[in-house]
Amino acid sequence: MDIKEIKAVIDLMRKNSLTEFEYEKDGTKIRIQRGPDGKPQVFASSPGLIPAPAVIPTATGSAPAPTVQTPIPAPAQETLPTINSPMVGTFYASPAPDAPPYLAVGAVVNPETVVCIIEAMKVMNEIKAEMSGTITEILVESGKPVEFGKPLFRIKPA
Amino acid sequence: MFEKILIANRGEIALRIIRACKDLGIRTLAVYSEPDHDSLHVQAADEAICIGPGPSAQSYLKIDRIISAAEVGDVDAIHPGYGFLSENAHFAEVCQSCNIRFIGPSPESIRRMGDKSLARENARKAGVPIPPGSDGPVNSEQEAIKAAKKIGYPVMIKAVAGGGGKGMRPAHNDVSLVKGFLAARMEAEKAFGNPEVYLEKYIEEPHHIEFQILGDKRGKIVHIGERDCSIQRRHQKLLEESPSPLISSDLRKKMGKAAIKLAEAVHYENAGTMEFLVDGSGNYYFLEMNTRIQVEHPVTEEVYGIDLVKEQIKIAAGERIPSEFENLRPQRHAIEFRINAEDPAMDFRPCPGTISLYYPPGGIGIRMDSHMYGGYSIPPFYDSMIGKLIAVGPDRPTALARMQRALDETIIRGVKTTIPLGQRIVRDQDFRRGKYSTHFLERFFEKKVPNVS
Repeated sequence: MDIKEIKAVIDLMRKNSLTEFEYEKDGTKIRIQRGPDGKPQVFASSPGLIPAPAVIPTATGSAPAPTVQTPIPAPAQETLPTINSPMVGTFYASPAPDAPPYLAVGAVVNPETVVCIIEAMKVMNEIKAEMSGTITEILVESGKPVEFGKPLFRIKPA
Repeated sequence: MFEKILIANRGEIALRIIRACKDLGIRTLAVYSEPDHDSLHVQAADEAICIGPGPSAQSYLKIDRIISAAEVGDVDAIHPGYGFLSENAHFAEVCQSCNIRFIGPSPESIRRMGDKSLARENARKAGVPIPPGSDGPVNSEQEAIKAAKKIGYPVMIKAVAGGGGKGMRPAHNDVSLVKGFLAARMEAEKAFGNPEVYLEKYIEEPHHIEFQILGDKRGKIVHIGERDCSIQRRHQKLLEESPSPLISSDLRKKMGKAAIKLAEAVHYENAGTMEFLVDGSGNYYFLEMNTRIQVEHPVTEEVYGIDLVKEQIKIAAGERIPSEFENLRPQRHAIEFRINAEDPAMDFRPCPGTISLYYPPGGIGIRMDSHMYGGYSIPPFYDSMIGKLIAVGPDRPTALARMQRALDETIIRGVKTTIPLGQRIVRDQDFRRGKYSTHFLERFFEKKVPNVS
């Protein structure tokens, strides 16, 4: 969808008092939600892109929709720091194939906490968090290759 | 033949290797440092893996990360380029033990010829002339005179503990030898804490001539002619050409045979270069061997019509050197000028920066090996060479004229380059007549007014 189409959808929603619109095609997903102040929020994601909520202001203050909506908080996810890979290898979320993963979203870590394994040349390297905070997102699938600097986890610093 | 190759290098040589791979239908994996993310070699490769931050020690020299990238990328072979890990025997060994083919000679060859004194010893054993010397320190005037007689004047008195051109003085006869001997000992004691000196033949007006060697897995060694690399600034090559204006076809035959003999003695495989010093009387002396592809390889490629990087890959994959390579004659004349992002007016201080405009030269007989593009930011972590301009022609005057035209045509804005220096060198009367030695550039700078570019 390009910006013209998004604006057209927003217009249609306003005219028809719609509050939510979701569209998916070829791996690209867009969700437009009208918040309580009438301002639409657009969430878009595409393979390879960082999700970026964009708030598109309406030209005039329009009347809120008749049904009350619970606002979806705009997560400023992409501004949180990440724990990045210090090496090249294969990322494993668990210490062993049948073991539970080291971390889940919401886990609290300190600098010494082992967050994952990166395997290189048959050596399993335990990767430490190197910082304190709460894990908000796991960015790599277990078993996938990672390069130096690749973001592995998003973390809200303590 | 290999299916996928990892290029353990950056800049123009990485691009060069990727091109050879493409010509052979081989998939390419580039490794890069964070500041090289937008580099041309990363864009040109099929896949790319980041291996570290800017400093080479944390990226292009990190053997473990490069090998990890090779495993993640499932490559068959690694081409090390030049510099970085290309002459690192340990790296070649690690590749071997991980079942990844190292496109270059064996670790043993790298060790045997990479060590300067071992290499000279190998040369001596193979009957290849090395600069005659006193075989150890001379501890008295008598010893010095005796040694000098054996070597033959002129000689160079060198400090045993010296280096980098320090603590050296020439002597042309017994009188100047004795005077120089005593003075050199005093100087050496003061500068290095060791008064010991030795003698070596002083080669006057030398040309730096190197021979390109190729060896295959069956032990066949050929030479692909010479390159004259005498135009150097502080021992850094600036301009190279082939054939050498100094070398007759007889001398080429003699030196080529010597180069092959030495390479055979160490069972050399893949590409390599034998460096010699040659004086005005046709005497040649082995200096050292480079066990890798060289920066100036395009000069040989253009003169003999061979793709040396492709040959490296083919040899590493087990192919024989074609028999046609045994009796090659120079077909054309080629000159290469290294374009560095340096300011000639500020003693060649490196100028990293962003290239705002790049117009490469073109036309008949012009080849540009470069990773430059308009908008490219030269990172400060690596050497300042941003391109190699090669001019080719049926004879030297044509190649010279084309080089002049191409240097005049090239536009690089945003950084200072050594192009103005190149423009002056190709117009110099002595250079045009082929009359130059390794002293050419220092004399050139002495007689020139500082360049206002």
